[in-house]
This record gives sequence, structure tokens and C-alpha cells, in this order.
Amino acid sequence: MSGGLSRVARLREVPVLSALIVLLLLTAILNPAFRGGEGLKAILIESALIAFLAAGQANLIIMRHIDLSVSSTAGLVSFLIGNTSMNNMGISVPQSLMIAVAVGAAVGIVNGALVAYLKLPSLVVTIGTLYLVRGIFNYLAGGVTVTADALPGWVAAIGSGSILGVPDLFVIALILCVLMTIVQTSTRWGRDLYAIGSNPPAAARVGIPVAHREFAAFVLNGIIAGLAGMLLLFRFSFADATAGLGIELYVVAACVIGGVAIAGGVGTAMGALIGAVLLQAITFALGALGVSQFWQQAVAGALLVLAIAFDRIVALRSTQRINRLAEAPV
Amino acid sequence: MSRGAFRLSWDKSILLLLILLVLFGGMNNEYFATGDNVNFILGDISEIMLIAFPMALLIIVKEIDLSVASSLTLASALCGVTWQATGSIWVAVLAGIMTGVACGLLNGLLVTRLGLSSLAVTIGTLALYRGLCYVALGDTPIADFPTEFTDLGYTPIAGTFLPWVVVPMVVAGIVFWYVLHGTRFGRWLFAIGQGDEAAEFSGIPVLRVKLWLFILTGLMCGIAGIGYTVRFASSSPDGALGFELLVIAAVLFGGVAIAGGVGTIWGVIAAVLIWGFSQSYLQLIGWDANALVIVSGVLLLLSVTIPRLLGALRESVAQRTFRPKGTEGAPPPPGEGVAEHSPAGAGHDQGSHRG
Repeated sequence: MSGGLSRVARLREVPVLSALIVLLLLTAILNPAFRGGEGLKAILIESALIAFLAAGQANLIIMRHIDLSVSSTAGLVSFLIGNTSMNNMGISVPQSLMIAVAVGAAVGIVNGALVAYLKLPSLVVTIGTLYLVRGIFNYLAGGVTVTADALPGWVAAIGSGSILGVPDLFVIALILCVLMTIVQTSTRWGRDLYAIGSNPPAAARVGIPVAHREFAAFVLNGIIAGLAGMLLLFRFSFADATAGLGIELYVVAACVIGGVAIAGGVGTAMGALIGAVLLQAITFALGALGVSQFWQQAVAGALLVLAIAFDRIVALRSTQRINRLAEAPV
Repeated sequence: MSRGAFRLSWDKSILLLLILLVLFGGMNNEYFATGDNVNFILGDISEIMLIAFPMALLIIVKEIDLSVASSLTLASALCGVTWQATGSIWVAVLAGIMTGVACGLLNGLLVTRLGLSSLAVTIGTLALYRGLCYVALGDTPIADFPTEFTDLGYTPIAGTFLPWVVVPMVVAGIVFWYVLHGTRFGRWLFAIGQGDEAAEFSGIPVLRVKLWLFILTGLMCGIAGIGYTVRFASSSPDGALGFELLVIAAVLFGGVAIAGGVGTIWGVIAAVLIWGFSQSYLQLIGWDANALVIVSGVLLLLSVTIPRLLGALRESVAQRTFRPKGTEGAPPPPGEGVAEHSPAGAGHDQGSHRG
């Protein structure tokens, strides 16, 4: 194998992508109805929101942090935009963006300040803000339901539109994940995240402003969660007090499946995107293969556990290989 | 280090808060301190309390279990299915409890045998166990339990206002308190929490201890699952959603440090009771359920922020007193994330100084 090719083969994203391709091919062979491309389109639409959120979450998991408050933030934003539109007979794109960025940044600043500067554990802080934001959201939403006829036309247009056959929602998620991967792999800011995740004290010693990086990544993730609220609205053209409930764990799952290990220091946003698509593809494939819907979640859960275990075994192997190389006589 | 100004530790403070809350509530609302209301509150918090005990032990050894709500629901589901299949409530109860144990065993094996992060594993098994609930029940809850069984959910123990679910809660509280604070096993847990490797080298079977803690957590989920079935008189696949975060929030509010190595059982008991009583009081004075969610979040944030701020304050006072300017040590260790924690500033103040 040439050097370049073997390097590509060793990328953490490769096994996930291979699994995804094999899964899609198998499904297409076994179920003719899946071949028309509609099935693939549905998978992409369903996975877009999770992939979009995973782009920001990946930055945090790389640094051994986590943000569980994203579902509440996204839900709140989707409701606020919908409700504003309902009360004012419509809403413009810039207004919506402003709401999304403002709410997202506010939550991100609270999370970031507590984690980065007060050195509080991110798991606890973001469970706290998860409740806090969800509570505020439910208080504001009450029994109000925003339906499609209260929303401006552009919301539904983006939600159902597509570019060259690829759903708009997925294109948006793909663009974010590509940009984020470039930031992660090719900028100093991005490389710092990996250094922090690999060894936090060492990163501080070599002069990386750890707290500033953590703060910025949390604020960025908050803004991404806010924007994801718009995606949520595009997707469903509907918002009520339950919007976005419980999706935070799917976001973390997508990251973990896509090679962004909980232990930190590895993975990319593109990997997380592939993980998000794989997660959806499994559910769809099971449906297409005639597996009862009641089994689908259980099988998806089992595969998630297997993916985590598999990733660990691969990582152990590569550590052993590196150790052998290090011990070998030169 | 803990000499002088601030002797009131976190778990003592919340115990005090609990007493004040009960007094305040009793004085301001005539219904608050009645037997009926306390009966309701104790039933309402019983599952949280039962699972909070083993969760506290897990967090003390720096592990976590996010699958508890799914395990609880799966135990309830299997209890229902077995009841329909056999018609014997005793067999059904046993099946439910064993289901919980099996869930905990799988988590424990994955974490200890494969060396996986418990956060990742239990996010996976959270989805798996919840999925199995749908496999077991479909989407129709089972609700035809015998009335002698479901009556236990609200009828008081003869001669008192206490509901029957108090019995497992009190027994578990005493057992866990004794195990954590009175046995060698309990001291091992603190040692593991202070540092896996040091504990391993001093002869503690770290992995075996952790495996048993996961099994114990499963067992308590099984028991809580039976309690849940009794109280709601049904097993449904979508019960107790999001419950895992509530349990963790209560444990941390009770003074167990997420960084491991610190915590008390009575802190956890006080925290769960505060949660139950404050929710009840706010409901009685007419706050709606949404405000209660906000209260949970704020309590959790305060429970980590206040000790940290007090710690920082103490440290800066100590530094000014004992150290000449310009001899600051290394920059503070960053990244107290989910996987690893620095021992410095473990959050709650009482324990990190204990050796």
C-alpha cells in the first residue's frame, strides 16, 4: 500500500463510512422499494438536524467536554421564531437569524463561563442549563402550538426544498460540517482543541489559552444549537413545548459512532455527520427490511453499544501497534 | 485547610436548608405538612431516592449510569409481561427485579471488561433498554394488575400516613449509609474515587468493585421499577423519560462531587427530600410545572457554583496569608470534563481534604 492510501485507510471515519455504504447497499439489494433514491433522501432529511448539532458538539467532546443543553436551546429557538411569526403575521430571515444567534449565544455564554472560567464539570453545568432553558421554554410556550399556516413561506420552502436532489436541510448540515472539519484540522484554533483533549495540563503548559478555547467552543456550540432551532422549524413547520425534547443524546451518540471518542483528542465534524447518517440509516434499513417498528430502537441501541465497543478495540489495537513500533530496535 | 472560617460543609448546609424549608412550608401553607401531602411527596420521590443511592456510589468512583430510567422502565415492562404470562404477581416482581440486575450487569461488564467510558456505554444502553421496552410491550401499556398490588402505591401503612413505598426507601437508606460510611467496601469507594491507580496498587480490586456497583445500580432500578409499576398501576414503554438526569441532579445537589471521591448518603437523602418538598410547596402555592423545571436547573447549577466560588475565595485568602507574591504554581489544570477530573477543587468542600 502506498503511504497516502494507508493513511486514508487508517482514518477513524473510514470504518463508519464503510459500514454505512454496506448497510445502504444491502438494504437496496434486499428491498427494491428502497432503490428509488427516496429512501436515501428521507435518511438525509432525518439526519440533518443531528449532524448539524454534532458539528458543534464534536469540538466539545474533542476537549473532553459535553453539552447536553442543546436540545432545550434548539427547541426554545424554534418556538420563539414560530411564535413571533404567529403574532406578527410573518417573520423575515434576518429576524429569525437574530433570535437564533442571540438565544444560542446567551446559553453558550452561561455554559462556557461556568465550565471554562469557574472550572465546573460540563456534564453537571449543561444538565442544569438543559432544565433551566427547557423550563423557560415550557413557561413561554404553555399550551401554545405554532402550526404551518402561521409560518412564512420560506420556512416550508427550505424544509421541503432540495438542491440537485439533495435535501436543503442536509446541504446546510453538510456545509457546516465541512467548514467545521476544515477549522478542526487546519487552523490553529482547531488544533488547540485536540491538544487540550489529549492532555489538558500539557496543553496549558505549552501556552495554549485553554479556558479561552473552552469558552469559545461553548459559545460556538450554543450558537449552532440556536441555528439548529431554525432547522427544527424548517423540518416540521410546527413548534410546541416538546420541540427538540431528548435529541441531545442522539447528538452525542452520532459523535461517538462517527469516531469522536468521549475520551477526547480525536475525531472530526465530518465523522460525526457520517455517524448521524449511519444512525438514521440503521433505523430506515430495519424498517425497509420489514423489521417490526418495535424492534427498531432496540436494534439501533444494540448497534450503538457495538459501535462504541468496536471503536475501543480498534483504538487499543492502534495503541499496541504504536507501542510495538516504539519498542522495536531502530 | 478546613480550619477556621467555614466549617459548614455542603451536605450539612442542605440538611439545614431542608429543615428550614419544611418549617417555612408548614407555617405558610396549611396543607403542606399534612399526612396526605407528605404521603404523596414520599411516594413521588421514592424512585429517585432508590436510584440516587447507588448512583451516588457510582459517581464517587468516577463512573456514571445514564441508563437508569430505561432500566427502570424495562424492569416495569418485564414485570407486566410476566404477570400477564404467569398470573403470579410474585413471579412478576422477581422477573422485574432480575431484569434490572441484568441491565446493570451488562453495563458493568462493558465498562469493566472492555474498559469503555461509562458515559458512552450507558448512553448506548439507554437507547437499547428503552428499545427493548417497546419490544416487550409494543405500544400498549399493561394495566390489569391485581388491586391488592396497586393499592400499595397510595394506601398508608396501618396506623400511619406513610405509604408502603417508604419501606424499601428506609431499608435502602440504612443499608447504603452503613455500606458507604461503615464498611471497608465503603472506604474502598472513596479510595478509588481519589485515584484508580493508587487504589489498584494498594490492593483494592477496582474493576470488581465497579462491576458490583453497576449490578447494584441495576438491582435498585429493578426495585424502583416495581415501585413505579405499583404507583402508576401500569407498565408502559414510555415511562420515566428523562428521569436519569433528575437522579444525577439530585445526587450532585446532595454534595457528591462529579470529580469523584467525595459524598455522603445523608447529603443525598436531604437533597432528594428538598427536591420533593420544594416541588410540592411550589405546586401548592400555585406555581406551574414549568417553573418547577426551572427550579431543578437552578438548584443544580447553584450546587456546583457556590462551593466552587467559596473554594476560590478561601484559596485566595490562604494565598495572600501564606505565600509571597509571584510564586504561583502551575496554571490550574483545565478540562474537568466528562472523562477525567483534576482533584483540585473537586467542588463540594467537605471531603477533598479528608485523606
